[in-house]
Formats: sequence, C-alpha cells, structure tokens
Amino acid sequence: MKTAVARLALLAAALFAWEVVARVGSPLLYVPPSAALPALRDLLLLRSYPDLPSHLALTVREIAIAYALSVVTGLAVGFALGLYRTVGRAYGPILAALYAVPSVIWYPSLMLFFGLDAASKIAFGFLLGFFPITLAVLAGIRQVNPQLVVVARAFGARPLTIFVKVLVPGMLFTLVGGMRTGLALSVIGVIVGEILGSKAGMGALINHAYGLLRTADYVALVMVTLAVIAASDVAASLVERRARRWTE
Amino acid sequence: MKADTARIVLIQVASLAVALATWEGLARAGWIDPLFVPAPSAVARSFGSVGALAMAGLADTLAKTAVAYVLAVVLGVAAGVAVGSLRALNDVLHPFVVALYGMPKILVLPWIVLLLGYGTAPAIAYGALHGFFPVMVLVVGAVRDVDRTLITVARAFGARPWQLYLKVILPAIVPSVIAAMRLGLVFCLLGVLVVELFAGIRGMGYVMGSLANAFRAPELFAATGLISVASIAIVLALDALNERLSRWR
Repeated sequence: MKTAVARLALLAAALFAWEVVARVGSPLLYVPPSAALPALRDLLLLRSYPDLPSHLALTVREIAIAYALSVVTGLAVGFALGLYRTVGRAYGPILAALYAVPSVIWYPSLMLFFGLDAASKIAFGFLLGFFPITLAVLAGIRQVNPQLVVVARAFGARPLTIFVKVLVPGMLFTLVGGMRTGLALSVIGVIVGEILGSKAGMGALINHAYGLLRTADYVALVMVTLAVIAASDVAASLVERRARRWTE
Repeated sequence: MKADTARIVLIQVASLAVALATWEGLARAGWIDPLFVPAPSAVARSFGSVGALAMAGLADTLAKTAVAYVLAVVLGVAAGVAVGSLRALNDVLHPFVVALYGMPKILVLPWIVLLLGYGTAPAIAYGALHGFFPVMVLVVGAVRDVDRTLITVARAFGARPWQLYLKVILPAIVPSVIAAMRLGLVFCLLGVLVVELFAGIRGMGYVMGSLANAFRAPELFAATGLISVASIAIVLALDALNERLSRWR
C-alpha cells in the first residue's frame, strides 16, 4: 500500500517536473505532458495521421511474420544442434560467436538486399528473434535429466515418444522463456528496421513526425507503439505463466 | 579426445570452405545477383579500396563506445548498488526500472538526436543509455543475492554502513559486475552503431550506411566482416580476462 502510494507520487512528481522543465525550456523540444495528451487524442481519433491503422497493421504483420520465422527456424536449429552431438560441437561455437556481434551491423546488408519495404524489417526481426530461441533450446536440452531418457529408452520408448513425453516437458519452461525473449527481440528488430529507414509502418510515421518537428505527434506515436509492444509482452508473459503452472 | 577435437575443427573448416565455394560458384554462375550479394572473391578484393576508410570508421566508433561504456558501467553499477541495497527504493522503483529496461530505446533516439544534434554527443548518450539498464539490472540482482548472514554478522561486529558496502557487498558482487561489464559492452557498441546509422557523420555505422545507400555491396560486406571480427575479438578478450580473474579468485 505504502509502496503503491510512493510509486504514484514518484510518477506524478516526474510528470510535473517534466511539465515545468518543458514550459520553461522549450515546449517544442521537450513536449510537456499537457501537449502530449491532446496529440495522443488527435492521433487516436485519426485527425493527425488518418492512415494510422494501416501503418500499425503493417508493423504488427511484420512482427508476426518475423517471429513465426524465428520460432520455426530457432526450434529446428536448436534441436539439430542439441540432439546431434557432433553437429552441436561443430556449429554451436560459430553460432555463439555470431551472437556476440552487435546485430545492427547486419542491417545495412539486409537493407541493400531486401530493399526499404517490409522484407528487410522481417529479415532483421527474424535474425534477432532466432538467436534467443535457438540458445534456449540448447540450454533446455542440457537441463533434462539424462537418466529419464535412459529409463524411458529401457522401457522401450521410441525416439519420438521420448522427444514428446520426456524431452519437451522437461525443458518447457526454459523454452518458453527463450520464446518470450525472442518475441521481444523480433519486435525490437522490426521497429529498429523501420526507424532506420522505411516507407510505411510505425517507424516511418515516427520519422515523419520527427523530421517535420511535429514533436507532440512524435511522442503520441511513440506511446501508441509502446502500447503495442507492451501488449505483446503481456500476452507472452501469460503464456509463460501457463507453461510454468503446467510444468510444476 | 584430441582426435575428436581435431575432427570438430576439421568439420568447421570444411563447412566454411564449402559454404564459401558454393557462394562463389553461385555468384559466378550468375544465380545470385552480384549487385546485392557479391562473390567472396569480390569482397576480398574490396578490402583494399575500403580498408582505410573502414579502419578509420572503426577507430571512431570504438572511441565513442569506450566513453559510453565507462559512463554506462559507472552509473549502472552505482545505481545498481544503491537500488539493490535499499529495500524501500527497490520496491518503489522496480516497475519503472522494468518498464524502462524493456522499452526499445530506439523510440527515444529521434528525440536524443533532436536534443544533441548529429555527431558524437548523441552516439555517446544513446550508447550509454543502451548499456546502462542491463548493467544496473544485473547489479541489483547481485546485491540482493548477497548472503544475508554475511551482512548480519558484519553488523553484529559493529561494521559501519560504508564498511558494509566496501568490505562485504562490493567483494561479493564482483563476478556479477564482470558479467554485467561483458554484457554492457555489446549493448554500448550496438547503441553507438545504431546512432551512426541513423544520424551519423562519422564512424563505422555511418560508413556502412553510406556504402549500402551507394549500392557498393562488396565494400559493405568487407566492412561488415571487419566489424564483426572486431567485436568477436573484443568479447573473446573479455571472456579470457574474466576466466583469468575467476581463477585468481
């Protein structure tokens, strides 16, 4: 209770300080909350950007495709590396080294190859989401008690049965955690791609507003984008909680 | 065991060679457009023409990253120790830290560029911001995981608060701080490169962005290879340092 009050007080103080600084400094540059809220209303009522829904839908579609690709490829590569020892030992280190590279350096090449449209954003979102999922599969496989596999095999379980009944339940929690991180990174990949250069999507709108110094609209667009991101993370955390309950 | 390791290395080298040969073959046969994906031989040749430019860009980027990194680590560790050791502070700030940590920082990048202009300052600010939260969150966790009995015992023996921080908490969190420093470096480098791509006038990100816009694919691939080798080398060096430190401890 006391903590909740302190949190609200802190938030109110921060907003108030922001308002004061913005009014004294430059309302155009710092966008006080009193200017951001009307801009958000205009945005949501489709006054400032009438084509907001189509841009928002494009961004969501890019994220969905990128994430679907990361899940499929990440699971396939993860299991291939985790279940076949030689493959894992040969290609695992290469994958880990590539993961240490700051991902954005691949973006110019992707932009060159796929152009400024949705494809380059999907490719980048896929690339970012792919690594955590693959690594989670690898970590999950290591986590499964090998004796369970031995016992299942001794009782005559087939490889597929072992996979479905022993391996997957044993690693489910780690796997779902990795898939949640993968979603967050796919989202970031798509949005980074859009802001670094695009013709449509939320990033294009953000760049448009910022380029024309429509700072209040820029803040409103950022708030809408954040709402989409938060919604995707809440959905992922619900799935994660289900998985945890199922595992226990 | 040794023969096994040799076999693994052999597989790695062989797959790399096969991949390069296939790529070269496809490019020569005209199956992939060299305008977009140049042959490895063309990339290798372009090292000569782009090498000096790329090395200058890389030096510029690494210098900015170094400043951003020092800021991120110093501020991140300080904030992490403060928030981690003061329970009330942690309780109040927790949701805000989680929200700021999870938020894609790229969304505030246009605003940072608006405030600080083009060039070095926004790159350092954004790089530091990018590295700050991962470092802080890791350190908060480490401080909260410090064995409570150590603190109780130190208090019982009359340790003052500053002694508690210097002699109990700081030594206990050293491994996590080192882990945070490794993570933070990649984040800072990433942040600096993003700014250079978005609003750079110098640096590796800017060089790569302009190569992409000019459709100079071989040079772009060469530059990408250069920076990826550089960042892998930095991370491996940090890992080696980390291992040496932990053995010493």
